[in-house]
Amino acid sequence: MGSSAKRKKEKAKDFQKTKLKVGKARPKNTNATDTSFAAKSIVLKQQSLSEGGRDAAALFNHNLSLLGSKSDTQRKDSLSYLTTIVAASAENLTQPPAVILAKAQPLILDGSKSVREQALKLLRVLPTDQLGSLDQTLLYTRAGMAHLSNDIRLSSLDILDWLLTISPTASDVMSCPGGWVKTLRTFQNLLSWHAGIAPSAMNGKWSAAPKTTSSGPSSNNKLLVHQLTTLSKFLVAGLTQPPISPNAAQIRAAKLFPCCQTDVHLLSRKQKPFGYLNLFGAARDVESDAYEDADERVRVFVETGLKSSFDLGIAEAKREGGEVGRAACAVEKALKLATEVG
Amino acid sequence: MKRKVAALEKVDADLPNLQHKIRNDPISYKDDFANQYSQYSAILELFLQSPTATDDKGLIRLRDLIDFVSHVADCYPRLTGEFAKQLINLLQLHHATLESELRDKIVGSLVLLKKKDIIDSNTLLNTLWPLLVSTPSKSLRAILYTKIVAEMKSSNSKSTNHKLNRSMQTTCYNHIASDPASPKGLWSVKLTRELWKRQIWSDAKAVSIMEMASLSEDAKVVTGGVRFFLGGDQEREDADDESDNDENIDMRKLRHQAGINKKTGKRDRELKAAASKVKRKEKKKNAPHPLNFSALHLLNDPQGFAEKLFQRHLQPSQPKVRLNLEQKLFVLQLVSRLVGLHQLTLIQLYSYFLKFLTPKQPSVTSFLASLAQSTHSLVPPDVLEPLVQKIANEFVSEAAAAEVASAGLNGIREVCVRQPLAMNETLLQDLVMYRKSKDKGVQMAARGLLSLYREVGADMLRKRDRGKDAALGLRAGERQQAKFGEVQEGGIEGLDLLEKWKEEQGLESEEDEQKGWENWDAESDDSDDSGGWINVESDGEDIEISDSEDEKDSKEKKAKAKAAKEAAEVAEGKGTSLESEAAMKQEEARISKLATTRILTPADLAKLTELRQAAAVNSALPLAKRRKLAQAQTANNARHADDAVTADQIEGLANYGKKLTREERIAHAKNEGEDKNDHRSTTARRKEKKEAEGKSTTNKEKARKKNFLMTIGKAKRKGKRSLVEERRILKGHVARSKRGGRRGNIGQ
Repeated sequence: MGSSAKRKKEKAKDFQKTKLKVGKARPKNTNATDTSFAAKSIVLKQQSLSEGGRDAAALFNHNLSLLGSKSDTQRKDSLSYLTTIVAASAENLTQPPAVILAKAQPLILDGSKSVREQALKLLRVLPTDQLGSLDQTLLYTRAGMAHLSNDIRLSSLDILDWLLTISPTASDVMSCPGGWVKTLRTFQNLLSWHAGIAPSAMNGKWSAAPKTTSSGPSSNNKLLVHQLTTLSKFLVAGLTQPPISPNAAQIRAAKLFPCCQTDVHLLSRKQKPFGYLNLFGAARDVESDAYEDADERVRVFVETGLKSSFDLGIAEAKREGGEVGRAACAVEKALKLATEVG
Repeated sequence: MKRKVAALEKVDADLPNLQHKIRNDPISYKDDFANQYSQYSAILELFLQSPTATDDKGLIRLRDLIDFVSHVADCYPRLTGEFAKQLINLLQLHHATLESELRDKIVGSLVLLKKKDIIDSNTLLNTLWPLLVSTPSKSLRAILYTKIVAEMKSSNSKSTNHKLNRSMQTTCYNHIASDPASPKGLWSVKLTRELWKRQIWSDAKAVSIMEMASLSEDAKVVTGGVRFFLGGDQEREDADDESDNDENIDMRKLRHQAGINKKTGKRDRELKAAASKVKRKEKKKNAPHPLNFSALHLLNDPQGFAEKLFQRHLQPSQPKVRLNLEQKLFVLQLVSRLVGLHQLTLIQLYSYFLKFLTPKQPSVTSFLASLAQSTHSLVPPDVLEPLVQKIANEFVSEAAAAEVASAGLNGIREVCVRQPLAMNETLLQDLVMYRKSKDKGVQMAARGLLSLYREVGADMLRKRDRGKDAALGLRAGERQQAKFGEVQEGGIEGLDLLEKWKEEQGLESEEDEQKGWENWDAESDDSDDSGGWINVESDGEDIEISDSEDEKDSKEKKAKAKAAKEAAEVAEGKGTSLESEAAMKQEEARISKLATTRILTPADLAKLTELRQAAAVNSALPLAKRRKLAQAQTANNARHADDAVTADQIEGLANYGKKLTREERIAHAKNEGEDKNDHRSTTARRKEKKEAEGKSTTNKEKARKKNFLMTIGKAKRKGKRSLVEERRILKGHVARSKRGGRRGNIGQ
C-alpha cells in the first residue's frame, strides 16, 4: 500500500523546504512542543521572603494560620516552628494552649506522615494544664483510629497515648462525652472482638479468621500490638480509682477551719463544672454520656456487654503468643481491675 | 509476597474501592465498614460541634464518608439504622449554613436511600418539601424541586400511588390554605402544574389546590392558579404530543443498517429493543385515549368558585390583592370562561364590564372577548342589552377608526351568537348598514352580523336584508326566533331519510341487521377487543350525578313540551283540518318507531350521514360554493364549546383590508420570507432540503459522482464487446427495467 499517490506525496513532504514569506512569522516545526499552559491560580510557595519586619507574636500567629495551608512542607515547617517556640517559652505564649490545640488537632488526620509526627511533637510540648476541653481532640483521634490508612491509625494511637498521659488518671479524657464507651467500641471494632459472633459459627461453612489471630504482614502485627498496648493503658486509666491521700481531707479541713463544707458551696475547679448537666448539647444516650467516676465506668463496662466480649477476644489473642500475646496479657491484667473495683 | 500486599494496601486506602468490594461481599467486609462508620460518626459529631467553622478538609471528608455509607447502607441495615435520620436532621437544622456541595450531596444521598428502600417516599418528600419552601438558596431550591418531581414521577410510574399522591396533595393544599398571603404558595402551584402536565395528577384534588391558589391573597399565587385553569390542559396536551413525537425510530433504516453492519450480539439486541419499542408505541397509539377531564370540568363548585373569584379580585375597589391589569384580565378570563362553560348566573359580572368598554381602554379586545365568553343562552337579555348598546355607541360609528369599528362589530356578533335576544331591531338594522362601509374589515364584520341574524332572528332585519332562504322560511313559519330559556327538542336528523331508504331497499329483516353489526366488527381495530374497558375512577361521581339529572330534566322537558304541543293543537283544532293532523301524528309515530324499536347499527349510521349529505340543500349549488360551505362547516366544528374566545378573534379581520406593499405581495407569493439572502441555485436549495429530510441522492446522481477510476475498467471493456454479448446485455436491461430494478418492485 506504500505506492499510492497520497503516500508518496506525504513522504516527499518531509524533504520539502518550507517557504518563508515576507512579513509572516516562520512556520512552526512539525515536532515543536506546545509549552503554553493555562492556570487558574498561581501559587507562590514562599509568600513573603522578608521576615525581619515582623515581631514574634505576629510570626507566631502567622505560623498558626499556616497550619491549614495546602502544601505539606508548609504545614510541617510551621509546626516545627511552633514546636520550638512553645518548647522555649511555655510560660508566656502569644496564644493560649487551647487555641494552639484547636488549630493543630485536625492534623491528626493529615495525609502526610511527617506532618502527623511533627503535630504529635507539638502536642507533647504543650503545657498540659491549660488545654481546655479535650472532646474534639478525642473525636479526631477516634476518627484517626478507624481511618482506612494504617499509618494514620498508628499515629492516632500515639495521640491517644499522649492524651492518657496528660492528667494522672486521664480524667480529662474520661470526662468527655462518649469518651469511655465510644472509645472502647472503637477498639472493639478495630480488634473485631464481637462476643455474639464466634468466628467458627459466623456464616455456616466459611469461617473468616479474626484479625487478632491472623499472622499478617509485619506492619499489621505492629499495629495490632500497638492497639493492644494502648487499650491496656486506656483500660488501666479508666478502671482505677484516683488515689486519695488519707489525710488530704484533714489538711483541707484544717485550712478552712471554722467553716465546714465550704467545698460544697464553692464553684468546682474542674474545666466545665456544670458540663455533666448537658444543658445546651444534644440529648445523650448510654454511649455518648460522660462517666466521671471509676465505679460508674466499671458498671457501664460490664452492663453494655463490652467486658464479656473483651474477655473472649483476649483469650483468643493470648493464644497468639509472641509480642501480641504479651500485649494481650497486659490487657488482661487491666481487665482484672474491673472485677476488683466492681 | 511482601510487595504485593503493600500494593493491595495502597489500593485499600480509597473509599470507592472499598465500596466496590463491599458490594460484592458484604459479610467479609463488615469490620471495615464498621470502622468507616465509626469514623463517619466521629467526624459528624465534630461537624455538629461547629457546623459553620469546619475547615475544607473536614467537609470533604464528611462528604466522602456520607457518599460511601449511603451507597452501601442497604448491606448493613442494622449498623446504619440511624444514618438516614442523621442526614435528615443535619439537613433540616443546618441547610441554611451548610457548604453547598455537602448540602447537595446530602440531598442526593437521601434520594439514593429512598431508591434502596431504606426510607420511604413519604419520609423523603416530608423532608424535602419543607426545605423547598423555607430555604433561601436558589440552587438548593432548584435541586429540591427536580428531586421532588422525579420522586413523584418514579413512584407513580408503575401504577398510580394514590396514597402518596393524596398526602402530597394535602400538603400542597394546606400549604396554601394555612397562609394564603405568603408568596411561598407558588411552589405548591408550580408542583401541581408540573404534575398535571405530566398527567401524574389528573384528579379533582389537584384542581382544588389550584382553586385554593386562585383564591389566595398573593398576586403571584393567584396568577399561577388562574393561568393553570386557562392553559393547563393545553399544556398537558402539548406535552403528550411532544412525548409521542420524540425519538421517532425509523425501523426501515435500522433494518437496512443491520443488513450492512457487522452482526454482533449487541447490535442484534439493540435492533430487537428498537422493534419492541416501536411496537409498544404503535399499541399505545391505538389504545383508547385516557379519559382526562379538563381542569374546568373537575371543579367541585364552579358557581361558588366563579362568585368568589369575582368578589375577591375584581369587584371590590380596594381588594386584598393588588393585581395589575394583565393579572386582572387573567382572572376575568377565567371567570367568564367558567360562566360560559358551566352556564352560571353571575349578574354583577355584566355591569362590571360596562366601565371598561371604551376604545381607549388598554387591551379592550380582551375585555370584549371575555364579555362574549361569559354570555350564554341563559343570561337575561335585558342585562346584555345595555352592554351591546354601549359597544355600538362607543365603537361603531363613522367617526371611529376602522379597526375600532370592526372590533366592536365582531364583539357584538360574538355576544349575539350566544344570546341573540340581546339585540334590538333598530340597533341591528343600524349596524347591518355598515356592510356598505369602505373598509374591508368593517364590511366583513357587519356581514357576519347579518348572516348570523338571517339564521337566528330574520324578522328583526329589514325585508330586503333577509335573503332568500330566511324570507321563505319566515313566510312558511318555520323560522321563529327562539324565546328566552327555550331548549331545543332533541332528535336524530335525517332519520326519516334513512327509513325511507330502508323501505326502498327492502331491508327490514333480522339478517340484514345482523350483517350491519358484522360489518362493523370486521372494520374495528383489534386493539378494541384486547383493550377492553376503560376504567373511570370514582372521582367522576359528581359529574355522573349531574349528568343523570340533566337527562331526567331533559326528558321531563320533552314530555312537557309534547304535552303543551298537544294541548295547543287541541286548542286551535278548529283551524287545522282533521286530516292533516292525523297525517302528522302518523308520521310522528313512524319516526319514533324506527328510533325506539331497534338499535341503529354502525352501517346504518354511516348510511345516515351519507343520505343527510346527499339531501342537503347545497347539493344543488355549484361546486365552488359548496366547497366554501363545507369549509365553513369544518371551521365551525373545529371550534369546540370548551375553547376560549380570544382577543384575536375580536380583532379579527381588522388588518384584512390593509393593502400589502408590492414587496410584501411578492414575498407572500414566493413564500420564502425566512432567508432573503439565500442566493444559491434552486438545485442546491432543493438538495439541502432533501438532506434535511434525511433522504439520500438519486441513483443517477450517485452514478455521476462516482470516481472516474472506478468506472474506467468497465468503460474500456465496453468497446470490446461482441455483438452477441451486446444483445444479451440490452435484453437484460429491458427485462430489468420492466421488472423494476434488480430486486424488482414486487414486495414493495
